[in-house]
Order: sequence, then structure tokens, then C-alpha cells
Amino acid sequence: MSALEADIHRIGTELAGAFPSSARHPVRALDARAMDLASRDRELRAALFRFVDVVPACRSLEDVARHLRGFLEELPEAPPPIAAAMRIADVKAARAALGAAAAAGVKHMAHRFIVGETPAGAIRVLHGLWERGVASSVDLLGEATVTEAEADHYAARCVTALEELSARSAHWPSRPLLEADRVGTLPRTNVSVKISALTPLLRPDAPALGQRDAAHRLRPLLRRAGELGAHVHIDMESLDSREAVFELVLDLLKEPEFESGPSAGIVLQAYLRDSPEQLDAILDWARSSARTPPLTVRLVKGAYWDHELVEARQQGWPAPVFEVKADCDRNFETLTRTLLDARPAVRVAIASHNLRSVSHAIAYNELSGGEPLDLEFQVLRGLGDELQDALAANGFRVRTYCPVGDLVAGMAYLVRRLLENTSNESFLHEQAIGVALEELLAAP
Amino acid sequence: MTGATLGPFTNEPVLELRRAAVRSQLADALAGLDRELPLSVPLTVADGELTGEEILSTDPGEPDRVVARAARAGEAEVAAALATAQEGFRAWSAVSARARASALIRAAAWMRERRLELAALQVRECAKPWPEADADVCEAIDFLEYYARRAIALDAGADLLQVPGERNDMRYAPRGVAAVIAPWNFPIAIPCGMTAGALATGNSVVLKPAEQSPGCGMRVVEALHAGGVPPAALVLLPGEGDAGAALVRHPEVQTIAFTGSLPVGLEIVRSAAEVRPGQLAIKRVIAELGGKNCVIVDADADLDEAVPAIVSSAFVYAGQKCSAASRVLVHEAIADRLIERIVGAVRVLVVGQAEELGTDVPPVIERSAQERVNRYAELAARQGTIAVRAPTVPGSGWFCPPTVAVDLDPSSPVFSDEIFGPLLAIERVAGVEQACDIVDSLPVALTGGLFARDPATVRYVRARSPVGNLYVNRGITGAKVGRQPFGGNRLSGNGTKAGGPDYLLHFVEPRAVTENTLRHGLVV
Repeated sequence: MSALEADIHRIGTELAGAFPSSARHPVRALDARAMDLASRDRELRAALFRFVDVVPACRSLEDVARHLRGFLEELPEAPPPIAAAMRIADVKAARAALGAAAAAGVKHMAHRFIVGETPAGAIRVLHGLWERGVASSVDLLGEATVTEAEADHYAARCVTALEELSARSAHWPSRPLLEADRVGTLPRTNVSVKISALTPLLRPDAPALGQRDAAHRLRPLLRRAGELGAHVHIDMESLDSREAVFELVLDLLKEPEFESGPSAGIVLQAYLRDSPEQLDAILDWARSSARTPPLTVRLVKGAYWDHELVEARQQGWPAPVFEVKADCDRNFETLTRTLLDARPAVRVAIASHNLRSVSHAIAYNELSGGEPLDLEFQVLRGLGDELQDALAANGFRVRTYCPVGDLVAGMAYLVRRLLENTSNESFLHEQAIGVALEELLAAP
Repeated sequence: MTGATLGPFTNEPVLELRRAAVRSQLADALAGLDRELPLSVPLTVADGELTGEEILSTDPGEPDRVVARAARAGEAEVAAALATAQEGFRAWSAVSARARASALIRAAAWMRERRLELAALQVRECAKPWPEADADVCEAIDFLEYYARRAIALDAGADLLQVPGERNDMRYAPRGVAAVIAPWNFPIAIPCGMTAGALATGNSVVLKPAEQSPGCGMRVVEALHAGGVPPAALVLLPGEGDAGAALVRHPEVQTIAFTGSLPVGLEIVRSAAEVRPGQLAIKRVIAELGGKNCVIVDADADLDEAVPAIVSSAFVYAGQKCSAASRVLVHEAIADRLIERIVGAVRVLVVGQAEELGTDVPPVIERSAQERVNRYAELAARQGTIAVRAPTVPGSGWFCPPTVAVDLDPSSPVFSDEIFGPLLAIERVAGVEQACDIVDSLPVALTGGLFARDPATVRYVRARSPVGNLYVNRGITGAKVGRQPFGGNRLSGNGTKAGGPDYLLHFVEPRAVTENTLRHGLVV
């Protein structure tokens, strides 16, 4: 075994040992059971997700019950607790009760992933995380942007979030690990922004159109973040908008006005086959830029895997993503090493719930002489909570991605997270069903 | 190719225009085409070539630019074309189904090699935006590939009951000369599909392209000739309405494949019903006509999906698809929200030239179309409220501002006439049942849409919907060969289903043969 592999094994074992036991989270254990049921039964999974998806659009509790029944009826055979629910739905008096219970269930599930309806409402959770040594990035959930008014509204919400979070977080206690690396300070306020929400004109075949339209909303946002000393992270979505997002962000950050701030970042999706070339382009940009602070690159696996494959199959295009999980995991590690080697031209955030990928980043960082504080980890609220605690306990900087928004707006996000969490390919799923640590940490 | 087995059919992939390298080829293709313009579209019959400049096709985005100059067929040319095709039929019908299929496959390859050039021609001649023009070429290729395979399968004949002492056999024979009368809105795909269907089954074809798009029609014929279809088996007949009418009347035309407007379609049916001296068959008309396509939006619809899908179904290519959405029937509980969002989305539509990537709404095909759409927009303003009408459109070209009308008088012609332009009417309904009543009251039934998430609602609408193509929770245009067999019912057409498994049956006549195999009491 190479030195790196030995280190990965050692670090992974340590982290796993620091995972809180799920016995201490009775509610979470219940969620886990529901999710386990859903991962084992494809049809049930589809029915439940279609149901969760439609709940916010239902007009009454009875409407909720009617939809639930409608989806469950399509199952070839319903598991016993579900058959019972269907029988209840037959009784008119019980329908509202069933609807209420089901809606409450969905709301409960949503609250696991969504920290509040507004930034102000989320402050308590964010503050709590900070107290425990965990930083955050706030993501404002919203309906799709199809009009100018919706784009303006989203931009305004982002500015409000920057302002409120900056004002409130100023009173938080000092957390040195979360507030600086060797390059300089790290903002407490960190907002993740979606370009697709900043313009109704994102067109895959005409990226310049959306780029231009989003630029005039992103500029004031960057300006305000600069004034507040906050970080703006531009999220990445499906491949359809990648070119527009990359060019927009890199072009704007090159503008003289933004030469010395704000702190900003982009996302690299390791599931894309051409992500290594994308990273080369980013690094060329970063190395030729005198901009401070350096660009943060958040490395993720990518959350639109199904979408990308379905679209490619429907159109007859080659799949833009790795279809084999191990290929994607290997690429993630290669990109991790390239990124870590590229410091200080970029800051690196490794956003993964995969214990192996995280341990690999830590091990490589150590091996190449990096300090723990020159590496950031990011996890998703509700999915990576245990990893978050383990990383924080072991002295690493971890930032939790915290979606904020109401249930209607949050549904697309929630469904995506649920799909991810119950996918058989998912690391979290493997972990939940008790795959041996040895196997979880094996080289892909 | 002959004798080789064809793999299973798959759709030709459209260009991956989200990649910069793919997009960068388009400008060159257009510049290459521009150097060749205007194209000359001849009329070729057995005893020579007739050229002429009677028909000019022009760029709808820049009407001074002549795209093609075409000869104009009169009675004499129609007769000559039919004589050629009659002769062509004798030879082509004798060719094996497999060899005919191979010619179609080679024609598909010819198109594939020139796909950018063919798309560029549509950009110029019909102001079809790049993504739509590219999809059109792909659809043409799909028709060739799909019908080639279906024709081979059909050639095997039908399974019949066999009993001792007799041999029963049913085969599908070509009907004779087919007249293909094509529209301009899918200027390559539709003429190619109708022609390929007829040729694959052994008919010969006289193709009259739309007078707005003779250049595109010529390319279809070139592809098939290059693929090995003999010149006499496929004759290009550029002309206008009178040439089409003469074709329909002609006693030697057995089959008429027409895609176009309802009035012309009904006139063809009427004329084709009359048996004229020398006529040996009842003419068969394959008609794909207009629609008044409704999208139903129930209260539980996901508006994030419904709004973009409705807007693109109604306005892409300026609403000039027979499948385009022209009415939205929305549950009153969410009507305000839907209207507000559609209005906002229409306001940001890009009205521009077809050659610009990103253009949603190009100019309409010609001045008379522009006048027609504007007339209906004025009518909508008088009989209802204009919720949005894009204030400005580019100067030259037959542009029509995208328009949404609401609160229309229920008897408004905007609700019943096919406008074929960027005008969408939205109305509130009490529920899906009322929406279905409205859809059911229409004499046309081409495409329809439904946005709803309760499976029971989907089942209900499906059961009550008379349309040929119902799309659930997606846009209502963009039918793919082999996936969404396309064609309407009622006055929208006679259920022909282009790109579907039954399409070729319209071009053949079944012949059953029973042979006695009993000789002296023994089965021999």
C-alpha cells in the first residue's frame, strides 16, 4: 500500500470514529428508515417523490390525501403501512387527517434540509453551527426565474441576505479556524448564488444572452458583497448553462472594479468528463489574474447526474458525465490533487459526503506539506451533518451549505436531495446500509 | 448497402448547440450558402428541363434577398411530369423493397453530410431559426431511415390463417403515382417524409414543394436522386396552387399526400372524390391539416415547468408549427399567477433574425401572414384584453410581435381560427372537466397539452382527449419519428401518423392470393 493509501485509511478510520452515533438522533433514525424503504423499492420511491413534489401545490388537506392516494394506487403492490393509508383515504372523514399527517411528514422532511424560510429565520441555525465550529453558505431557494421581475426579486433577496447575515454574524464569537487561512481572512457571510435565478435568458445555444442579462444583476451583488466583506459563491447547475456561468463569473471578476474583492468562488463538477480541461481553464485564469483574494473553487461530484444522462439519451448525444461511479470518484481525486497543488492561486473547498474522497483530500494535503487550515470542506445541510461534526471535531474547517426558502420554492431542491440520498450509487446509502469501512475507504 | 441488415432505428441526434465548437460552424455554413444564392430550381421532365423565374422565394427576414428562382409548372408541365412518373413507376415498383430501402438510406447519408448547408437554406428561405432548422434536417433523415426499415418489414406481407390444401398470402403492392403537396413550415422534413413514404413502398412521386420554399424542395429531390432513386420515379414540380390542383385532378394520380391548411385540404378531398375519364382507382388522400391546439393547466401544475413549456410551444418559430399551442385553458385557482408569469416570459422573448442563435421569434413566412396575424391581434384587442404584446420588432422582415390575449369573448374567432403565428389566448376554466368540454367542442384535434400531477386527472384527460398527439407535462411541439407518431384527428387530418408504424399502409394496396395446393386429393 502506498503512503497515500495508508494515510487515507488512517484518516478515514479516525473520521468514522468521530461520527456521532445515529442512536442519539431518534428522529433521524426514523427518516433513515423511510429513506431505506424508498431506496429498496423503485416504484415506491417514484410514488413518494412525486407526492413530496406536489404537496406545496395542493389546495387543501383533502387535496393532499387525494394526490397521495393517486400515486400509491399506481404501485404494483403496496407495502402494508401504505395499504393501510390507502384504506384510510377511502373514508371521507379520515382524508383530511391523512392529508395533514402526510403534509406534516413532508414538511418535517423539508426542515431537515432547509434551515429557514428567510435569512433572518435561518440565523438561529447558522449561529448554532458557528458556535459548534462550523461555517455556512446560504443558498436562497426560489421558483425558476422566467421573467425579469423574478430575476430582480432574486437579486434583491441575495442583497438582503448579504446585509442581514453580515449584520447578525458580526456579533458571533471569534472562530479562528473559520475566519482565516494562510492567504488571508475568510468572510463569515457566505452566500451561494444561482445564475439561472438571476436571468430569464439563459439559453444553452446562446450563452452570451443570459450572460449579458445576468451581469447587470450580478455586478451590484458583487459590489455590495465587497462593501460588506462577504463571500459570493456562484453555484453550478446543469451543463446547459455551464458556459454562460463560467464566462460570466470569470469575466466579471476580471473587471477593475472587482480586482480587490469581494471574495468569490465557482464550482467544478467532477462527474463531467471534461472537468479536467475545465479546471485547466480555471487555473490559467487564476494564475494570470492579480486579483485578491484568490478565487475559491468548490469541487463537487455534481447534482444533475440523472438529468444529464436523460437529456443526452433523449437527444442522442454522448453522455457528458461519467457513467461508472468509480470513474467519477477517481476523477474527483485527480481534480483534488490538481487543485491542492495549485494553491495559493486558488482556494480549495472539497464538497463531498464521500468519506474516501474527504480522507483522500486530507491525506494528500498532509503529504504535500499543506496545513489543515489551507483546505476547506463543505457539506449539505441534512445530508452531511455527521461528516460535518466529525470534520469539525478533528480540527478541519467545514462549511455547511444551508438552503433558505419556503416549501414551494424548496421542493425542487428537496426532491433532488432525496433522490441523491436514496440512490443505490450514493455513498451515504452505502454507509447507511452498513457497508464495511474497509470497503468504503477502498481506492475507486 | 443492399442485402446488408439495417440496425434498429434511432433518431438522428440534433446538434449539441450548447457546445461552443458546434455553434462556431454555423456562420460558415450560412456564408457558404449565401455565396450560392439565388438557387435555380428547374422543372425536369422526360423531354428536357424547364427553367424559369416565375416563382421567387425570398428571405422573410430580409425580403429583398432572393433565395431561389423556380420554374412555374402549368397544365402542360403537370401532364408531362405525370407521364414521366407513370413510366418511372413501372421501373421503381419492380425494384426490391430492400433495394428501395437502400436508396433511402443513401439519401439519408447524403443529407447527413450536408446537414449544416441544408439547415442554412431553411434559415434563409423560411426564416427557421438554427435549432429548429437543424431539427428539421434530422427529422428528414429520420423519415428516410425509419420508412426504409418499415418498408422492408411491410414487404414480408401479413400473417394469415393457413389450412391444409391452400396457401394464403397477402402482400402490399404500391398504388401507383403519388402526388406530394408539401408545406413550407417544415420545408425539408415534411416533403421528405411524405415522399420517402411513397417511394419506400414502390410508388413513384411527383413532388410539388410550397411556392415559399422551392429551394428546400429541390434539395429533398437531389438527396433521393443521389441515393439512387431514378429521376423518373421522383419528379420535382415547382409550382403554385393551380399546379397542385391539376395534380390532384389528374386521373393517373392514385395517392395524394398533402400537409397544409384545412380549406385546401378539404378542397383536395372534394376534388379527389370525383372520378375522371381514364381514372382506374379511387384516389386516396393523406391529409395533415391545421389545429387549434389547447394546453390545459390544472391547479396542481408545476408552473416552473408549465410556463417555459407553454411559451416555447406557442412562440418558437413564431408559432408556425401545426403543433404549436394557441390556447391555454387554466384552472381559475392559479390563473392569475400563470398569466402573470407567461406575460413576463413573453416579454423577454427574443424577436430577431433566424440566423441569430438565441432568437425565439423569427419573422413569419410572408407579408400576407404578417397581415393575418396582426388582424387577429387587433381582433383580440377588441374582443378581449392584450396582456402583452412585444412593443418593438426589428425593422425589415415580416416580424409579428409575440402577443398574449386574455379575457376574450367566448365567441371570438381568435378561439377557433388557426392563426399560425405568435398569438396565444389564455382563458380561465372552472376545472379540467370544463377544459375538456371546450377541447371536445372543437372541430380540429391535432395536438394538446396537459399540465397536471394527479394520476387520476391524467387518466381523465387522456380518455376525453380527441387529439392525435397529447403531451403531458411537457411542451406540445417537437414530435420525433418513431417516438411520437404525428398527425391529428377530426378536421385536422385523417389519422395518418407520420413517423409511426402504420404510415406506410396509406401508400399501398393489399393483395391477397390463395393457391389451391390440393391435387388428386393430395397436398402437393
